[in-house]
Amino acid sequence: MCAHQCYQRLSSNTLKFATLPNNACINLCDLNISRWLEAHSDRSAGLTTFARNVILADVSGDGDYKLVLTDVRIQTDKRSRLKVYKGTLLTSDQVLPDVPSSVISFYTDDLEPRVPAVAVACSSDLLIFKNNKPFYKFCVPPGPLTPLEEECWKLFAEPNYDTQKLITDLKSVNFNQLSGRSQELLNLQPNQAQEYIQRYVGITPIKTSPIVCMSTLNRSSQDALAVACPVLGTEDGIIYVLDPQIFTVLHQANVCNVKSTPTIIKTTGMYDVEFRIVVACRENSICVLRRGWLEGKPVVQLNEDIIDLLLIPGDNFIIIGTTSKMLHCYTKRGQRVWSAATVNAITCLCLVPLKHLSTHLIAVGLKGGSVHLYHGRQTVDYTNSPDTPSAMVFGQLGQEEHVMVIITMGGTINFKILKRTADFNLSNQDKLSVPTLQSKPLPLPKRSKLFIEQSMRERQDPMQMHQSFQQDLVNLRLTAARALVQNLTEQSGAGNAEEQVKLSAQILGLGPKFTLILTLENMNGDKAVSNFSVVFHAKPTIYKLSSYLSTVPLIPPGLSYKLETKVTEVLKSGEEQLPGQAIRVFVIRKGQAHPVLAATINMPPTEITTLLFIFSQKFKSACEKMRAFSKRPPDSDILEVYSFYKQATLGDINIPKPSDIQGRAKWEAWNGKKGLAADLAKQKYIEKVQGLSGTYA
Amino acid sequence: MGLFTKFVYLLGVRKKEVNVLVVGLNNSGKSTVVNHFKNEEERVSEIVPTVGFSVERFQNQNLAFTAFDMSGHGRYRDLWEHYYKDCHGIIFVVDSSDRLRLVVVKEELDLLLQHPDICNRKLPILFFANKMDCKDALSSVKIAAGLGLDKIMDKPWHIAASNALTGEGLQEGVEWLTQQIRDVILSKN
Repeated sequence: MCAHQCYQRLSSNTLKFATLPNNACINLCDLNISRWLEAHSDRSAGLTTFARNVILADVSGDGDYKLVLTDVRIQTDKRSRLKVYKGTLLTSDQVLPDVPSSVISFYTDDLEPRVPAVAVACSSDLLIFKNNKPFYKFCVPPGPLTPLEEECWKLFAEPNYDTQKLITDLKSVNFNQLSGRSQELLNLQPNQAQEYIQRYVGITPIKTSPIVCMSTLNRSSQDALAVACPVLGTEDGIIYVLDPQIFTVLHQANVCNVKSTPTIIKTTGMYDVEFRIVVACRENSICVLRRGWLEGKPVVQLNEDIIDLLLIPGDNFIIIGTTSKMLHCYTKRGQRVWSAATVNAITCLCLVPLKHLSTHLIAVGLKGGSVHLYHGRQTVDYTNSPDTPSAMVFGQLGQEEHVMVIITMGGTINFKILKRTADFNLSNQDKLSVPTLQSKPLPLPKRSKLFIEQSMRERQDPMQMHQSFQQDLVNLRLTAARALVQNLTEQSGAGNAEEQVKLSAQILGLGPKFTLILTLENMNGDKAVSNFSVVFHAKPTIYKLSSYLSTVPLIPPGLSYKLETKVTEVLKSGEEQLPGQAIRVFVIRKGQAHPVLAATINMPPTEITTLLFIFSQKFKSACEKMRAFSKRPPDSDILEVYSFYKQATLGDINIPKPSDIQGRAKWEAWNGKKGLAADLAKQKYIEKVQGLSGTYA
Repeated sequence: MGLFTKFVYLLGVRKKEVNVLVVGLNNSGKSTVVNHFKNEEERVSEIVPTVGFSVERFQNQNLAFTAFDMSGHGRYRDLWEHYYKDCHGIIFVVDSSDRLRLVVVKEELDLLLQHPDICNRKLPILFFANKMDCKDALSSVKIAAGLGLDKIMDKPWHIAASNALTGEGLQEGVEWLTQQIRDVILSKN
């Protein structure tokens, strides 16, 4: 199995190759020549980033697409950065005020030159950059404070208050519902609390919710360069759709009627017409939000954690990668279309749109550093990354349209370019579509199986098939023609429609003596038949009949007449028994040349056992006849009879030659018959005795 | 070709028509290179991405060149091979500032060299390491190494660093090509 070996060699860390469908293995075997060109790999890039923090955008508006990503630093002493790569070179590096959660790019207006804005979600702020310069900052509207917290902060402003009591009060409130300021206060050491309160006393705290995920939604056109609205999802489970020009909230909705925190947002459609926002929640559910809805509707609930989510444009299939190494595909209404098991844990997903093939592939980053490309549920390609990919993006970079940028957990940045000639055998894919989860073949109906086998055989040896068919056809025609000729010459038929007489025959006995019973039936309703005779015609060398002609009396209407005839088969020993012969029967009317009826009766052959019995009876009777001879035949005849008898009963000579003259003569006669078969000796014996009996009996 | 015609040809009385194919990735400067070879009055001031291909004519040292300026865009690259058969020389333009796509250039060059219409012919190939003025441009030596040009044994090739905007390096390259084509034609006759 070269496919399996090949696959094993390619990824020694993936042990579950046997569970892959066969066609996947075949495709992987094609990978001797990769479909990807390794453009550049920088192990020293030292990037830390996550999915949805890497985008490809024409940020300078010159048609030279750049790679924009955030280098995330969670440690408090280090700052996260927004980096822009031109080709493989880092061209811009900006410090971000907070840990970014997501990056998007969108066109804010239709003005030329078309320069897209880059928006970075940092905490509850959306930082918008244009031409690599800060452009606008949008803050998520603050949420309502709990009355208790508000009360507490009012009391802090009072001259005499009990810090400890108020802090205990604050602790009684759910931590998630507190404002950031109170949360920080509760995390401080008691001795620092006083100073902290003093700093903020008198200012009402604002409860803001950090942005956790982002996406863009085209405003009124499906074009790739169309103006798009940023869509934000906050920790509180609120989705905001922003106006791309003035950055005000166009639409606000809850993710779900129950508490759900969005983690991934994907959109389809247009804001002004109809749209669908698909939200993956931390509670392992998928919610869908449509135009005019104030609340999303959960469509899918999973039992495993969602790692990444994709929305396939066109058919709007939702692709979900989960922690249990599964890739699920759901329709926009939440019906599962398929599931596929991956060989390793999924770390990120990336959509690979291939316009020239008018299809979309799904790139699945797997733990260990392999990237599998799926077309539907089938693996169509396989490529490697230096180590486990943490984020992937596919699209135009620089002048090249099909670039995949992979950023790994180890900080490596890897650029791959899809070859122009790569077609992923997609045209052949449809033919080989074996479902991944269905490892055993479908039961084939018997008829189809026969048909397939037959067609396989035909394909293997068409010449021989044709020849044998022609031969059989000729044989069939010959047999049919012979039967026709026989029928015509014998003019057989069991009934005569004109005379309305029916003849049937019955043969009794095992042989060589048979009884033939003929039944002649008058089928006529009102007319008697008379003047009939029956003539038998048989080969006299084979059959002897008791009578060859019998007259039939008058048969009244509706009655039948039975005619019994004894038939004896003439046995000829020594010759081969014929397998039964025919006796022809003619029913004739007096004074009429043509027979009324003619029939052929096929006689059964005499049973072998009966024949043997008769033969042995004959031999015995011949022996007795010999003994009862009245006159003594000459010595030469007696010696011959003796020798036949001995040969028949004892076989070849088995005694030593005696010394006396009589004994020697006998011995020599017997010896002369050496090698004669017992049956033949018997036959000869019978014949000899028969010949002698005429003269000496 | 008889002795007389050869003599006439060497004198430059009769011009010989040759076809050259100008290929390279999109945005590498093919049309700009070809534009520079044209007469002053025929030049266009603004170059736009070529769609499909365009045919330009120019002369160099009594050789009348017909240049097939092919589009370098991914979806038009499979048009190139249809012109391989009838060409006498190839000008391959490389954007030396595009480090990312050097692998793509190599891939396309390999496809070109393996094509049945090319692989058995002694076709001169001129490489222009274009955009040498860009600050992060690779040198022509590095490009030659990156493309594995030293492995081309059966064809004469030459790499020239160029700047198609100013015309720097172009003349030197095209003179080499003219010489090569002339040698091939003369040796044939």
